[in-house]
Amino acid sequence: MSTIKVPKDREVPFGAVTPAPVTSQELFITSNWRIVRPVLDREKCALCFQCVMSCPDSCWSFNEEKEEVEWNWRYCKGCQICINECAAEALSAVPELDFPDGVVRLEKPF
Amino acid sequence: MAQEKLLSGCAAAAQAAKLAEVEVVCSYPIRPYTAIMMELVRMIHNGELDAEFVHGEGEHSQLSVVLGASACGARAYTGSAGVGVTYAGELYSPMAGGRYPIQMAIADRTLDPPGDFGSEHTDAMTFRDQGWLMGWASTPQEVFDNTLINYRVGEDQRVMLPQMVCQDGYFISHIPDKVIVAEPEQVKEFLPPYKAPHPLSLTCPVSHGPQIRPDQGAPMDAQRAAVFLEVPKVIQEAVEDYNRIFGRNYDPFVETYMMDDAEIAFFVQGAHATTCKSAIRNLRNQGVKAGLVRPRWVRPWPTTQLAEALSRVKAVGCVETSTSYGGAMRGGNLIHEVRASLYDLPNRPLVTSFMGGLGGEVILLDDFYYMAKVLTQMVKAKKTDKHVYWIGFEEE
Repeated sequence: MSTIKVPKDREVPFGAVTPAPVTSQELFITSNWRIVRPVLDREKCALCFQCVMSCPDSCWSFNEEKEEVEWNWRYCKGCQICINECAAEALSAVPELDFPDGVVRLEKPF
Repeated sequence: MAQEKLLSGCAAAAQAAKLAEVEVVCSYPIRPYTAIMMELVRMIHNGELDAEFVHGEGEHSQLSVVLGASACGARAYTGSAGVGVTYAGELYSPMAGGRYPIQMAIADRTLDPPGDFGSEHTDAMTFRDQGWLMGWASTPQEVFDNTLINYRVGEDQRVMLPQMVCQDGYFISHIPDKVIVAEPEQVKEFLPPYKAPHPLSLTCPVSHGPQIRPDQGAPMDAQRAAVFLEVPKVIQEAVEDYNRIFGRNYDPFVETYMMDDAEIAFFVQGAHATTCKSAIRNLRNQGVKAGLVRPRWVRPWPTTQLAEALSRVKAVGCVETSTSYGGAMRGGNLIHEVRASLYDLPNRPLVTSFMGGLGGEVILLDDFYYMAKVLTQMVKAKKTDKHVYWIGFEEE
């Protein structure tokens, strides 16, 4: 019978179980199919939190120290619901390819 | 003392689940497995079994319920048949990948079209590659025993996999036979309580089933495959313990019958092995050296044990009880695995297959005599002309 050896650094946790509750973790990132990302114009932002409430993946949150809303790039799929909901028109959809870090955010491209 | 009772396969499964002290049971009705749930709900109603009973909205939600129960650390039990097995299809891989050792009892039934009630193994066999443990019983007693053995193997920390404990619909599920029902003390000695390694809990929160990245997919698959390399060792230990505690005599992987000097062998899975044994006794009286090899597991497939069991015969006839339309041999599934298992033997036997026991049809003694004739002719001719014979549809 053959044997199978997965190197330690590529091992996936048992049953892909991860610690919780956390808002983000290094192991599991689900944003790599995003085509556009929401970009915030802080001058226009009215802090109405429509983006926080409308995001289906909880990617917008309020940073109390900085007193501004923050975007989590790790889980945003680029669905643009927040952009549609923003009453102050402070959000715009910008193609991922316009950013120097590019669209694929995995260490190994696939 | 353990009691001997007259039980159908469904009643035997329910008795074993009761003795395993299942904690969550989820049902959805479909013939012929339903009788298992009817028994269990009666036991819960009478206070014989202390378990949460949930009636699902369908098979997909049925399996989702037991997935949740198992994730919380409960020993969970469910089951289905025929198109119910296929309707739950999405859940099989995540349940195995998430390592939830739930048990699903299957009393198999032909898939549609068009609504055949009869036994056929295609329903469960369709999902043999989803990472579950799987095997067929050939008597109600074996259904009882396999229920306990599967929980023990599936819940072993080296395994942690869900199990399909299959029985032929009607032939086993609805025909009562003598079943020795074990004592609770015996079951306690054999089957330790289920311990989930990372249960969903408020005191130690974890997240189950997150999205993984494409570069994590391959290692995850490799890890799942690696677990299956460990399973045979665990099965061996569990069956040896079972034989000792319950006084049985099971081979862990394959049952052999009159194989010592056999020249031709029938390879039969499940209930039809019983008819096959009668046929072999009659064939032996006529001087035909026939034997039987019956796999107790489909996953993990007992490759080495089968190669050993079939290494000395001249011809093997796989009696297919499932379909694989357009497959390599144009018949069923078993022959693919059997031929692959025998390929590396220095003197491998000739192998062909017989399509029988489909749509609930009984495989008659005469059918086995016909198969023996074909196999004997193959041995004489020293070659296989055909890879599949459809019983009843061949030109003589």
